[in-house]
Amino acid sequence: MVRILNTVCVALMGLSILALYHVSEQTRVASVELNRVGRAIVQEHATISVLQTEWERVAGPARIQELAAAHLGLTGTPAVQMSSFDLLPRRGDDAPLNNSPIAQASAQAADTAVPHSGL
Amino acid sequence: MKQGPTIYQRRIVIGAVFCAAAFALVGVRLVDVTLFKPHTGGVETVDRPLTARNDIVDRNGELLARDLPVVDLYALPHTLSDKDGAARDLARVTGADYARLIDGFDNTRHPYVLVARRLTPDVQANVMHLGLPGLEFEPAAKRFYPDGRATAQLLGVTDPDGKGVSGLEQGLNGALRETGAGKPVQLSVDMRVQYILGSEVEDARKTFGAEKAGGIVMNVRTGEIVAMVSLPDFDPNFRQFTGDDSDHNIMAADRYELGSVFKVLSFALALQDRTTRPDEVFSIGNGYRIGKFTIHEAEHMPATLTARDVLAHSSNIGTAQIALRSGPVRQAAFLTSLGLLKPLHSELPEFARPLYPDHWGIIETATIGFGHGIAVEPLAYVSAAASVVNGGRRIVPTFLKTDADRRGAQVIAPETSAELRGLLRYVVTNGTGRKADIPGYDVGGKTGSAEKPGKHGYQSHVLVTSFFAAFPIEDPRYVVFVLLDEPHGTKETGGIALAGSTAAPLAGRVISRIAPLLGVPQKPVTVARENT
Repeated sequence: MVRILNTVCVALMGLSILALYHVSEQTRVASVELNRVGRAIVQEHATISVLQTEWERVAGPARIQELAAAHLGLTGTPAVQMSSFDLLPRRGDDAPLNNSPIAQASAQAADTAVPHSGL
Repeated sequence: MKQGPTIYQRRIVIGAVFCAAAFALVGVRLVDVTLFKPHTGGVETVDRPLTARNDIVDRNGELLARDLPVVDLYALPHTLSDKDGAARDLARVTGADYARLIDGFDNTRHPYVLVARRLTPDVQANVMHLGLPGLEFEPAAKRFYPDGRATAQLLGVTDPDGKGVSGLEQGLNGALRETGAGKPVQLSVDMRVQYILGSEVEDARKTFGAEKAGGIVMNVRTGEIVAMVSLPDFDPNFRQFTGDDSDHNIMAADRYELGSVFKVLSFALALQDRTTRPDEVFSIGNGYRIGKFTIHEAEHMPATLTARDVLAHSSNIGTAQIALRSGPVRQAAFLTSLGLLKPLHSELPEFARPLYPDHWGIIETATIGFGHGIAVEPLAYVSAAASVVNGGRRIVPTFLKTDADRRGAQVIAPETSAELRGLLRYVVTNGTGRKADIPGYDVGGKTGSAEKPGKHGYQSHVLVTSFFAAFPIEDPRYVVFVLLDEPHGTKETGGIALAGSTAAPLAGRVISRIAPLLGVPQKPVTVARENT
């Protein structure tokens, strides 16, 4: 009985050693892979960081204005020509400037608009 | 009789117990490591690039400053077979000095030679293509400012070791160097507004040939500085100054006698103390004599003016009379309550101590009433003026984003503040600030044209012109302050360089462009009136 038990224990020990070696090797490989992926992530983060910065530079207001003026012929829009949804009248409401001289705004805005260069 | 275990059996049992204990220990450790212990290792360190300083972003999350990964390039001269060729190639690719490199390569005392610092990835790739042996790249970081000059004076710069040495880079150094946080520092600045203010101030500076110019946009309830511009500026990405470049922020580090924009504060005090009424009539005449001094007007004035028109036409004589009613003690106390007699401290490290007379007598009270005899930094003035139009509560500026109403102690009554705002609107509709009036927004404001002091007293044709504006004036959300240092009149202004012709239209242009972006609602009635 004792001999069988001894044999089983030794066998278990041998299997455990093999299993532990296998796990250890898998861990080492995984660790190497983890470090490789980690470095790749760092590299990608760095690349993204550079690209984000480059995007901020090329999409900056100064460059957009320059391009808009050069290629689209856009000019400055008088503030009176800008509005928001909050200022739109609800259906059935009187227009906020009903019968008021605002009807002439688009015709006269260009004259009264404050000029500014660039745009 | 039952025999006990033999010596061998005892040893086996003891060995088995040891084995079981060892396996149990390994099992417990496995459970501990896999289930309970938080993972620490390489993965967590890759969540953000290895940078020394955190990002700076504007109030909308737009990037303003970031550390970019770069490398420092070192060479090991003993590994180079053709030192001259290597030095020549490296100098061509990196921009390093050839003579310095060849000297370093020939010097056997130093095993390493620094070839170039802060190489960008494209330059690094070019170096790699040279195929030279014995080159080592050391990771480093380079602070980059995508908007360049537009934010230069405000953000400042860092030194080669990544420590802030000016602007908010210095003022917020602690927050920016918080290790492990990786969280960007969010400023109150709106990059869109910053750009508009900068481009308009630059245009005005060129148009009027001003030496320096600047502008500030501030939220009157939160105290947030939405934009701050100081010209001349510099390119923070290239540390070399060209032309008239300057890293001096005139809006925070300089002090000016601002002239008539100070009348806003004199009127606030007079209205608060009920020492005058807007419709009270004052005698103006050709000069106002106090002791051996005579106060004159910058422009011809009617013989009499109401207090309202004293402000609208910027009468020095009228304002002096109003200031004298307050008296020196009350005037000094009021300016103290507005923070004008102490240095202003904010996240910006630059500040200028105010200059004011040691002896604050009658003459000084009169001149300080119209902005002479006291010199303050423009940012401190903006803070004080915002405090009297925002309902009368003290507001101090901040460069960090906040949604909280930061208004503090009451410095004038809300009713006084409303009355003052009415007068400021009158200045724009009927006074010297007409050119700041824009369609769609009720702007209130005040012009200021101050003669600059020289070696032999004030110089009559060397001016500092400024304009303080609040909008919408019924319930202001923002104030705009612009300043031109030594502007010159143009053909369009008839040669006049006063603030009404230089600073006021500049402020109007700025407001017309930034108000829609800031979500300030237009006033339909004003739109209609302006277009008829």
